[in-house]
Amino acid sequence: MTPMSLRILKALAVGGVTSLVLGACGGGGGGNTNTGLASNQTLTFPILGDFGTLDPAIADAETDTEISQNMFDGLVKFDNNLNVVPDLATAVPTPSADGLTYIFKLRSDVTFSNSDKFTSKDVLYSWNRAAAMQGAYATNLSGIDGYSTVAKNTVSGSALEALLEKNDPSVTMSGLTAPDPYTVQVKLSSPAGWFLTAIGLEGTTGYIVDENAVKQNFDNWWSNPATAIGTGPFKMTAYTPKQSADFAAVANWWGSPKPTLTKVHLDISVNDASTAITKYEQGGYDIVGYGGYSNLPVADVLRIKGTSSESSQLILHPKVRTYWASFNMVSDSSRLAKGPFTLDQGQSAHDLRLAFDLAVDKAKLVQTVCQGIVCTQATGGLIPPSLIGYMGDNNDPLAKYDPAQAKTLLNSADPNHTKTANLTYTYDPENALNKPTAEFLQSQWQDNLGVHVNIAPVSHSQFIQARLKGAYVLSRDGWQADYNHPQDWFDNLWGSAVGCPDSGCTTGYTTPAYDALLKKADSEPLDAAKADYAQLNQMLINDVVYIPLYYSVGAFLIKPYVKGAGTNAFFDHYWNEIQIMSH
Amino acid sequence: MAATAAAVVHRPAAPEQASLWSDAWRRLRRNRLALAGVIYLTFLVAVAVLALFYTPYRMSEVGVTLPYSGPNAHHWLGADYLGRDILSRIMVGAQISLVVGVGTQVVVIAVGVPIGLMAGYFRGWFDQGVSFIINLFYGIPDLLVALILVFLLGPSLTNIIIAIAVTRWMDMARLVRGQALALREREFIEAARASGAKPFKILFGHILPNSLGPIIVQATFGVPAAILFEAFLSFLGLGVPPPQPSWGSMAADGIAAIRIAPHIVIAPSIALSLTLMAFNFLGDGLRDALDPRQRR
Amino acid sequence: MFTRGTLIYIGQRLILILLAVVGVSSLVFLAIHRLPGSALFSEHLHGQQFQLLLHHYGLDKPLWQQYLNFIIGMLHGNLGESLVNRGVAITPIVVREMSVSAEVGLFALIFTIGLGMLLGIVAAVRQNTWVDYVLSTTSVIGYSMPNFVIATFLILIFAVWMDNFTQHTFYFQIGWSGRYGTIGEIWLPAFALGFPYASIVARLTRASMLEVIRQDYIRTARAKGVREIVIMVRHALPNALIPVITILGPLVIGIITGGVVIENIFGIPGLGKEFATSILNRDYNIVVGVFTGYAVLVGLANLGVDLLYVVIDPRIRY
Repeated sequence: MTPMSLRILKALAVGGVTSLVLGACGGGGGGNTNTGLASNQTLTFPILGDFGTLDPAIADAETDTEISQNMFDGLVKFDNNLNVVPDLATAVPTPSADGLTYIFKLRSDVTFSNSDKFTSKDVLYSWNRAAAMQGAYATNLSGIDGYSTVAKNTVSGSALEALLEKNDPSVTMSGLTAPDPYTVQVKLSSPAGWFLTAIGLEGTTGYIVDENAVKQNFDNWWSNPATAIGTGPFKMTAYTPKQSADFAAVANWWGSPKPTLTKVHLDISVNDASTAITKYEQGGYDIVGYGGYSNLPVADVLRIKGTSSESSQLILHPKVRTYWASFNMVSDSSRLAKGPFTLDQGQSAHDLRLAFDLAVDKAKLVQTVCQGIVCTQATGGLIPPSLIGYMGDNNDPLAKYDPAQAKTLLNSADPNHTKTANLTYTYDPENALNKPTAEFLQSQWQDNLGVHVNIAPVSHSQFIQARLKGAYVLSRDGWQADYNHPQDWFDNLWGSAVGCPDSGCTTGYTTPAYDALLKKADSEPLDAAKADYAQLNQMLINDVVYIPLYYSVGAFLIKPYVKGAGTNAFFDHYWNEIQIMSH
Repeated sequence: MAATAAAVVHRPAAPEQASLWSDAWRRLRRNRLALAGVIYLTFLVAVAVLALFYTPYRMSEVGVTLPYSGPNAHHWLGADYLGRDILSRIMVGAQISLVVGVGTQVVVIAVGVPIGLMAGYFRGWFDQGVSFIINLFYGIPDLLVALILVFLLGPSLTNIIIAIAVTRWMDMARLVRGQALALREREFIEAARASGAKPFKILFGHILPNSLGPIIVQATFGVPAAILFEAFLSFLGLGVPPPQPSWGSMAADGIAAIRIAPHIVIAPSIALSLTLMAFNFLGDGLRDALDPRQRR
Repeated sequence: MFTRGTLIYIGQRLILILLAVVGVSSLVFLAIHRLPGSALFSEHLHGQQFQLLLHHYGLDKPLWQQYLNFIIGMLHGNLGESLVNRGVAITPIVVREMSVSAEVGLFALIFTIGLGMLLGIVAAVRQNTWVDYVLSTTSVIGYSMPNFVIATFLILIFAVWMDNFTQHTFYFQIGWSGRYGTIGEIWLPAFALGFPYASIVARLTRASMLEVIRQDYIRTARAKGVREIVIMVRHALPNALIPVITILGPLVIGIITGGVVIENIFGIPGLGKEFATSILNRDYNIVVGVFTGYAVLVGLANLGVDLLYVVIDPRIRY
């Protein structure tokens, strides 16, 4: 079939040993000291699954933006300590006194990797395009005046490009203007304390693309090295879908630090963390944990921790993800799951929710499911530690475990166990922790309440879709912060404000008090808003809307000779900070 | 799959006389491997029945001991990733495997035997149609069809049995068709036909009883094939839903931890392999016993 | 050896394969579009944004129109665009993965037949000795072990323990480096994939060898004093081959389907791995594409087997 098969035949004849690999650690070898840079500055690592898209306008996966953050820039970005710092802008602007106007001064020395000059026109093009394309993070631009008009756009592809080229009003945000080539003025429709954090979100709608490159293939320009053009320190040089992608440092890049790596090779062909770890241990990769692999299997993490030669290569870093279990809180014609937990059933439903919450030994769950390593118990509210809005350790009363009270509550609210008969907890098995968590919950409710709950795995996409439609009485739930602002947590998950206009949020929970307070909090500057967001979390606690389970911890394996690689709570370190030392 | 390929290869035997049965049993008893298979399977059925009433621990109870802990005096086969007792789960898993294995063959016999009988006896367009469909099914990768079916129907015990039966019925149909084709020309069938017996009576009163031997052999080989299929489906995450433990899903769960706790994958793998082996040895023994032509 | 008749036969078969491919992919297309859930959905993307995407993929059209577009596209060799990996054309992926699966499968097949026949012949020649018993028992064990169990333990032994034991000097390199795997990457998956089938081939070979050995012409040859090895290779083996060839069809299909599991365990970027990934992702377009790829692969493999009959048995003419 291929010429290969002949060689294969020969190999079979000679026997297995020839096909074993003679492995040695590079060429550098023994005598060298560990201080100098390696001559080969190629970084190799696997990513879990192929890119969804690298187009900032429609990107919605962390795994993709962790790559594209090295190809594109925003006006501002986050540094490794999560401060908002200037990127393509010369400084982080201060809003006008009414909180409505931001003026960005742009750097004049920036070029795209195809030598196109970067000017304010590019900002207008990129942001209008992103707003018009209505990708997942388009709402990050929703504060800008005129966004709601552009968001109604239904034109796509080259037709949209034509509209953008002639600055058609239907795809031009009126609040976004360019007084000169190096100034961008943004006028918001109402104050939004979260605006700068939202446009700094790496690799998404706030990031800048090159119109000359994009218009050559409006939808798929990012997948072709010739048109995958950004202002970042790395550019794509080769891409074979589902197999590999290569990136090279941009020569004479405008920014700093100048990249040391010359090449980054991504292996897309391995889709399994255990295989990836084995390959890493065999010397095939420099890093495992980037590009979606930060949820390394517990068993492997446990083993590596116990291996003296490798334990120092293991980096555990809390990620900004919180997991909880959700109740269906509202049942109506559009939300078909009923269940005993809905708000309209008053106190007895409240007691049932509390009973299901208190019956779960969350500390034991963390010990069993995560081995106390890859997650920590969520005891301080929805927002994980290290983020603005964290309530502080052990301050969430829902995190308690009290089987006796749980049993009492259940017996008073549902003495005959009729309401709680035949409940189902639904989860998506793609995340390796979800299945053991589900089995753990099932066992706890059985043991502490005497209630048998079925558990049903449903594939991720189907799960999300059905959950948003209110199809599940009990379900796995969770959120990963997009940026360091509490608004991210309270807009998108509860209430009927901006994030969930179609009341399509997971639990359906909404009260007039919640909506009013959320509206107030969102319009305030961050410092003033903190107390209001805390009060919002308290509302959720009072109504027992969630069963807090755990905050997740990312695990990375990084070879000792790779310097500067790592992660913070949100995103992986930029490639231009990474160096490969001789080894 | 492997096991069925072996079964497919086996060519249908000649019809047996009724007096053969006691003879066959004698021959089967002399076949030590087959006898070992029978003993093991008896034991397995006993375990599966016992698990209905008693397991050392509740099979779904988490944290009965430290997760990943190896075999010890209290937990003979150790604990899995949630600290559940593996022995208890293996015992319950035996039920699943046996139900899937035997259940599939019941469906296969119920579907394959009548179709095969009629195709072989009546011949003509019905036979051509059936043969065409059988060949069509042989041309499609069976595992993929089963996967898609389970995916469409949703993973449950019944659906898994249906999905496997859909990909397996034609082995039986083809075998029975061959039997019917051969038997319909024999004198005693001619005689029955001449004496005015209805086709239904001939098919189920004369041809079927004389084909029982090969059918039993085929069904015996079909059981491990179905169990293996279930294991594959479970392994790919489309098996019996939790907390029901299936050996296939237990092995799949264990593979992630194979380097720190190989016992998690070893226990169900051995149970699975032994069971498949026992059925295969029994099938071999039955074939030798029921088919004098192949006697050594 | 390929007469005009054979060429016509090949042509007819190719047309039949095309029909089968269209049939299979149509069935899968129609079946899978009845499924709930979609790869297009994510936590962040719903409501109007979702409608825009549906439009992009033409999923807002009625089913018959989608189907028509799909069939027209397929006949032009265009299987559409991935739902998860937006903008990625499926046809080149499926073609590449098909060749990878074929490579692994071919290697496994060679291994299956080679090892299987060798063991079968040895068992037959040493009939009713301990060698025979050991080999016969091993072969039952062989096809009683699920290939994922075999694969897992092979990885443990060759990729992990050997790596540790030899201090990273000799080991099986896991994964897949280029478009086609290297010999170092392919022999273990091929072994895991082929071993159960090798057991079957061994049983078959043993049985038919025993039958052949009892034939008169072999006795005659023995009586004439022809050396035993010559009898075996020259006379017995060709006849013993025939039953093996008759099961090549099921064997090939078995190996192809077995690849679904093996490719996933070994991280081989073939059709099987794509199948498992895309079906979990609900990337319907790729699922249909993968089935199309499988239909092509099975069709071509069966055609190959049929042509092999012509090569081996000159009496067969099509």
